[in-house]
Amino acid sequence: MKRPRRSRARSVLRAGIAALTATVATTALPATAMADATNDYPIPRRMIVTTCNAEQILAAARDFTPIYYQRYMIDKHNKSTQVQQAAIDSAHYFYSLNPADRRAYSEQMVTNFADPVAAAWPNWAKIFFNNKGVTAKETDHCAEYPPDDLSVWDWSPAR
Amino acid sequence: MRLAKLLVPALVTAAMVALTAPAHADPDADFANKLHGYGIYGPLDYNAWLGKITCERVHNGIDTTADKSARFAFVNLPRGTTTGQSYQFLAAAIGTYCPDQVPLLTEAAERQ
Repeated sequence: MKRPRRSRARSVLRAGIAALTATVATTALPATAMADATNDYPIPRRMIVTTCNAEQILAAARDFTPIYYQRYMIDKHNKSTQVQQAAIDSAHYFYSLNPADRRAYSEQMVTNFADPVAAAWPNWAKIFFNNKGVTAKETDHCAEYPPDDLSVWDWSPAR
Repeated sequence: MRLAKLLVPALVTAAMVALTAPAHADPDADFANKLHGYGIYGPLDYNAWLGKITCERVHNGIDTTADKSARFAFVNLPRGTTTGQSYQFLAAAIGTYCPDQVPLLTEAAERQ
Protein backbone atom coordinates (compact mmCIF):
# COMPACT_ATOMS: atom_id res chain seq x y z
CA MET A 1 0.00 0.00 0.00
CA LYS A 2 1.27 3.44 -0.86
CA ARG A 3 1.92 5.92 2.04
CA PRO A 4 0.10 9.20 1.70
CA ARG A 5 2.31 11.95 0.33
CA ARG A 6 1.68 14.19 3.40
CA SER A 7 2.87 11.56 5.85
CA ARG A 8 6.07 11.01 3.84
CA ALA A 9 6.79 14.72 3.83
CA ARG A 10 6.29 14.80 7.59
CA SER A 11 8.79 12.00 8.21
CA VAL A 12 11.36 13.67 5.97
CA LEU A 13 10.88 16.88 7.91
CA ARG A 14 11.23 15.02 11.22
CA ALA A 15 14.47 13.39 10.07
CA GLY A 16 15.76 16.77 8.96
CA ILE A 17 15.01 18.35 12.31
CA ALA A 18 16.69 15.44 14.13
CA ALA A 19 19.82 15.79 12.00
CA LEU A 20 19.95 19.52 12.55
CA THR A 21 19.49 19.15 16.30
CA ALA A 22 22.28 16.58 16.47
CA THR A 23 24.61 18.87 14.55
CA VAL A 24 23.88 21.84 16.79
CA ALA A 25 24.28 19.72 19.92
CA THR A 26 27.64 18.24 18.90
CA THR A 27 28.93 21.69 17.96
CA ALA A 28 27.89 23.26 21.25
CA LEU A 29 28.77 20.42 23.62
CA PRO A 30 32.58 20.50 23.84
CA ALA A 31 32.80 23.36 26.30
CA THR A 32 36.51 22.83 26.99
CA ALA A 33 39.06 23.79 24.34
CA MET A 34 41.14 20.98 22.97
CA ALA A 35 44.75 21.02 21.89
CA ASP A 36 45.04 20.59 18.15
CA ALA A 37 46.62 17.57 16.51
CA THR A 38 50.09 19.11 16.60
CA ASN A 39 49.83 19.86 20.32
CA ASP A 40 51.13 23.31 19.49
CA TYR A 41 47.97 25.24 20.24
CA PRO A 42 47.30 27.28 22.28
CA ILE A 43 50.72 26.77 23.86
CA PRO A 44 53.50 25.22 21.75
CA ARG A 45 54.40 21.66 22.71
CA ARG A 46 58.01 22.62 23.39
CA MET A 47 56.88 24.99 26.13
CA ILE A 48 54.70 22.27 27.61
CA VAL A 49 57.55 19.80 27.95
CA THR A 50 60.51 22.06 28.66
CA THR A 51 62.32 21.63 31.96
CA CYS A 52 63.49 25.25 31.93
CA ASN A 53 61.91 27.89 34.12
CA ALA A 54 60.76 31.39 33.16
CA GLU A 55 64.13 33.03 33.89
CA GLN A 56 65.99 30.56 31.67
CA ILE A 57 63.48 31.06 28.88
CA LEU A 58 63.85 34.84 29.11
CA ALA A 59 67.65 34.65 29.16
CA ALA A 60 67.57 32.60 25.96
CA ALA A 61 65.12 35.08 24.42
CA ARG A 62 67.43 37.97 25.34
CA ASP A 63 70.31 36.36 23.45
CA PHE A 64 68.60 34.55 20.57
CA THR A 65 65.45 36.55 19.80
CA PRO A 66 66.66 39.93 21.06
CA ILE A 67 64.17 42.14 19.24
CA TYR A 68 61.20 40.07 20.36
CA TYR A 69 62.61 40.19 23.89
CA GLN A 70 63.09 43.93 23.79
CA ARG A 71 59.58 44.55 22.50
CA TYR A 72 58.23 42.43 25.35
CA MET A 73 60.30 44.36 27.88
CA ILE A 74 59.12 47.71 26.53
CA ASP A 75 55.54 46.46 26.73
CA LYS A 76 56.14 45.18 30.27
CA HIS A 77 57.65 48.44 31.48
CA ASN A 78 54.58 50.28 30.24
CA LYS A 79 52.46 48.38 32.77
CA SER A 80 52.03 49.15 36.45
CA THR A 81 54.40 47.42 38.86
CA GLN A 82 51.48 45.39 40.21
CA VAL A 83 50.59 44.09 36.75
CA GLN A 84 54.25 43.35 36.01
CA GLN A 85 54.55 41.37 39.23
CA ALA A 86 51.33 39.51 38.48
CA ALA A 87 52.75 38.50 35.09
CA ILE A 88 55.98 37.30 36.71
CA ASP A 89 53.97 35.29 39.25
CA SER A 90 51.83 33.78 36.49
CA ALA A 91 54.93 32.72 34.57
CA HIS A 92 56.46 31.20 37.70
CA TYR A 93 53.21 29.34 38.33
CA PHE A 94 53.07 27.98 34.77
CA TYR A 95 56.62 26.62 34.82
CA SER A 96 56.05 25.07 38.26
CA LEU A 97 53.42 22.76 36.70
CA ASN A 98 54.04 19.36 35.15
CA PRO A 99 53.33 18.93 31.41
CA ALA A 100 49.81 17.55 31.90
CA ASP A 101 48.86 20.44 34.16
CA ARG A 102 50.44 22.92 31.74
CA ARG A 103 48.28 21.58 28.92
CA ALA A 104 45.21 21.82 31.15
CA TYR A 105 46.25 25.36 32.06
CA SER A 106 46.63 26.26 28.40
CA GLU A 107 43.14 25.03 27.61
CA GLN A 108 41.71 26.93 30.53
CA MET A 109 43.74 30.01 29.55
CA VAL A 110 42.09 30.45 26.16
CA THR A 111 38.57 30.12 27.51
CA ASN A 112 38.88 32.13 30.73
CA PHE A 113 38.41 35.75 29.75
CA ALA A 114 38.05 36.78 33.38
CA ASP A 115 41.71 36.13 34.23
CA PRO A 116 42.77 39.44 35.85
CA VAL A 117 46.37 39.26 34.54
CA ALA A 118 45.22 38.70 30.96
CA ALA A 119 42.61 41.44 31.36
CA ALA A 120 45.23 43.93 32.57
CA TRP A 121 47.90 42.84 30.08
CA PRO A 122 46.60 40.62 27.26
CA ASN A 123 50.12 39.97 25.97
CA TRP A 124 51.71 39.10 29.31
CA ALA A 125 52.73 35.65 28.06
CA LYS A 126 53.58 36.61 24.50
CA ILE A 127 57.27 35.88 24.80
CA PHE A 128 56.56 32.43 26.20
CA PHE A 129 53.68 31.09 24.15
CA ASN A 130 52.75 33.12 21.09
CA ASN A 131 55.34 32.37 18.46
CA LYS A 132 56.54 28.89 17.59
CA GLY A 133 59.78 30.14 16.07
CA VAL A 134 60.60 32.15 19.17
CA THR A 135 59.62 29.22 21.37
CA ALA A 136 61.93 26.94 19.40
CA LYS A 137 64.93 29.23 19.89
CA GLU A 138 64.13 29.72 23.56
CA THR A 139 63.77 26.04 24.31
CA ASP A 140 66.85 25.14 22.24
CA HIS A 141 69.07 27.28 24.44
CA CYS A 142 67.35 27.84 27.79
CA ALA A 143 69.19 25.02 29.56
CA GLU A 144 72.45 26.94 29.10
CA TYR A 145 71.31 29.62 31.55
CA PRO A 146 71.03 29.78 35.34
CA PRO A 147 67.54 29.26 36.74
CA ASP A 148 67.73 32.00 39.35
CA ASP A 149 68.74 35.16 37.46
CA LEU A 150 65.81 37.49 38.10
CA SER A 151 67.57 40.34 36.29
CA VAL A 152 66.21 38.98 33.00
CA TRP A 153 62.84 40.46 33.93
CA ASP A 154 64.32 43.90 34.21
CA TRP A 155 66.08 44.66 30.96
CA SER A 156 66.24 48.39 30.41
CA PRO A 157 65.04 49.34 26.93
CA ALA A 158 66.92 51.63 24.53
CA ARG A 159 68.35 54.82 25.94
CA MET B 1 86.13 33.52 16.40
CA ARG B 2 89.90 33.43 16.92
CA LEU B 3 90.68 34.01 13.24
CA ALA B 4 88.44 37.01 13.28
CA LYS B 5 90.62 38.63 15.93
CA LEU B 6 93.02 39.43 13.13
CA LEU B 7 90.36 41.78 11.88
CA VAL B 8 90.00 43.68 15.12
CA PRO B 9 92.68 46.36 14.58
CA ALA B 10 91.17 47.15 11.20
CA LEU B 11 87.76 47.35 12.81
CA VAL B 12 88.98 49.75 15.47
CA THR B 13 90.14 51.98 12.65
CA ALA B 14 86.82 51.55 10.88
CA ALA B 15 84.93 52.54 14.01
CA MET B 16 87.19 55.58 14.47
CA VAL B 17 86.61 56.62 10.87
CA ALA B 18 82.89 56.27 11.42
CA LEU B 19 83.18 58.54 14.42
CA THR B 20 84.89 61.30 12.47
CA ALA B 21 82.48 61.07 9.55
CA PRO B 22 80.03 63.97 9.29
CA ALA B 23 76.83 63.43 11.23
CA HIS B 24 73.91 62.29 9.11
CA ALA B 25 70.27 63.02 9.77
CA ASP B 26 69.47 59.33 9.86
CA PRO B 27 71.98 57.19 11.75
CA ASP B 28 70.03 54.03 10.87
CA ALA B 29 70.55 54.72 7.17
CA ASP B 30 74.24 55.38 7.80
CA PHE B 31 74.46 52.13 9.68
CA ALA B 32 72.73 50.24 6.85
CA ASN B 33 75.13 51.75 4.33
CA LYS B 34 78.12 50.64 6.37
CA LEU B 35 76.69 47.14 6.62
CA HIS B 36 76.16 47.00 2.88
CA GLY B 37 79.83 47.81 2.47
CA TYR B 38 80.56 44.68 4.50
CA GLY B 39 78.14 42.56 2.49
CA ILE B 40 75.61 42.45 5.34
CA TYR B 41 72.09 42.98 4.11
CA GLY B 42 68.63 42.50 5.55
CA PRO B 43 65.83 44.72 6.79
CA LEU B 44 67.04 48.19 7.75
CA ASP B 45 64.89 48.29 10.89
CA TYR B 46 65.98 44.86 12.07
CA ASN B 47 69.67 45.60 11.63
CA ALA B 48 69.35 49.01 13.27
CA TRP B 49 67.55 47.56 16.25
CA LEU B 50 70.09 44.75 16.51
CA GLY B 51 72.89 47.32 16.43
CA LYS B 52 71.29 49.34 19.23
CA ILE B 53 70.70 46.22 21.30
CA THR B 54 74.34 45.27 20.76
CA CYS B 55 75.26 48.57 22.40
CA GLU B 56 72.77 48.13 25.23
CA ARG B 57 74.16 44.72 26.03
CA VAL B 58 77.60 46.26 26.42
CA HIS B 59 76.16 49.08 28.55
CA ASN B 60 74.23 46.61 30.68
CA GLY B 61 77.24 44.37 31.21
CA ILE B 62 75.81 41.37 29.36
CA ASP B 63 78.62 41.35 26.79
CA THR B 64 81.88 42.27 28.47
CA THR B 65 84.22 41.61 25.56
CA ALA B 66 84.26 42.22 21.82
CA ASP B 67 84.22 38.45 21.31
CA LYS B 68 80.97 38.07 23.25
CA SER B 69 79.41 40.99 21.39
CA ALA B 70 80.44 39.61 18.02
CA ARG B 71 79.07 36.22 19.03
CA PHE B 72 75.72 37.86 19.84
CA ALA B 73 75.69 39.54 16.42
CA PHE B 74 76.73 36.31 14.72
CA VAL B 75 73.80 34.26 16.08
CA ASN B 76 71.28 36.96 15.25
CA LEU B 77 72.41 37.92 11.76
CA PRO B 78 71.15 35.86 8.81
CA ARG B 79 72.46 32.34 8.35
CA GLY B 80 75.58 32.43 6.23
CA THR B 81 77.03 35.46 7.95
CA THR B 82 80.74 34.97 8.55
CA THR B 83 82.59 35.50 11.82
CA GLY B 84 84.43 38.39 10.20
CA GLN B 85 81.18 40.03 9.24
CA SER B 86 79.90 39.74 12.80
CA TYR B 87 82.96 41.70 13.99
CA GLN B 88 82.35 44.23 11.23
CA PHE B 89 78.76 44.53 12.39
CA LEU B 90 80.00 45.14 15.93
CA ALA B 91 82.43 47.84 14.81
CA ALA B 92 79.74 49.56 12.77
CA ALA B 93 77.25 49.37 15.67
CA ILE B 94 79.73 50.88 18.11
CA GLY B 95 80.81 53.56 15.63
CA THR B 96 77.18 54.51 14.97
CA TYR B 97 75.27 54.00 18.19
CA CYS B 98 77.69 53.89 21.12
CA PRO B 99 81.02 55.52 20.31
CA ASP B 100 81.80 55.58 24.04
CA GLN B 101 82.31 51.81 23.71
CA VAL B 102 85.23 51.99 21.27
CA PRO B 103 87.51 50.86 24.15
CA LEU B 104 85.84 47.44 23.86
CA LEU B 105 87.40 47.15 20.40
CA THR B 106 90.76 48.64 21.36
CA GLU B 107 91.02 46.24 24.32
CA ALA B 108 90.41 43.34 21.96
CA ALA B 109 93.10 44.66 19.62
CA GLU B 110 95.58 45.03 22.49
CA ARG B 111 95.00 41.48 23.71
CA GLN B 112 96.40 40.05 20.47
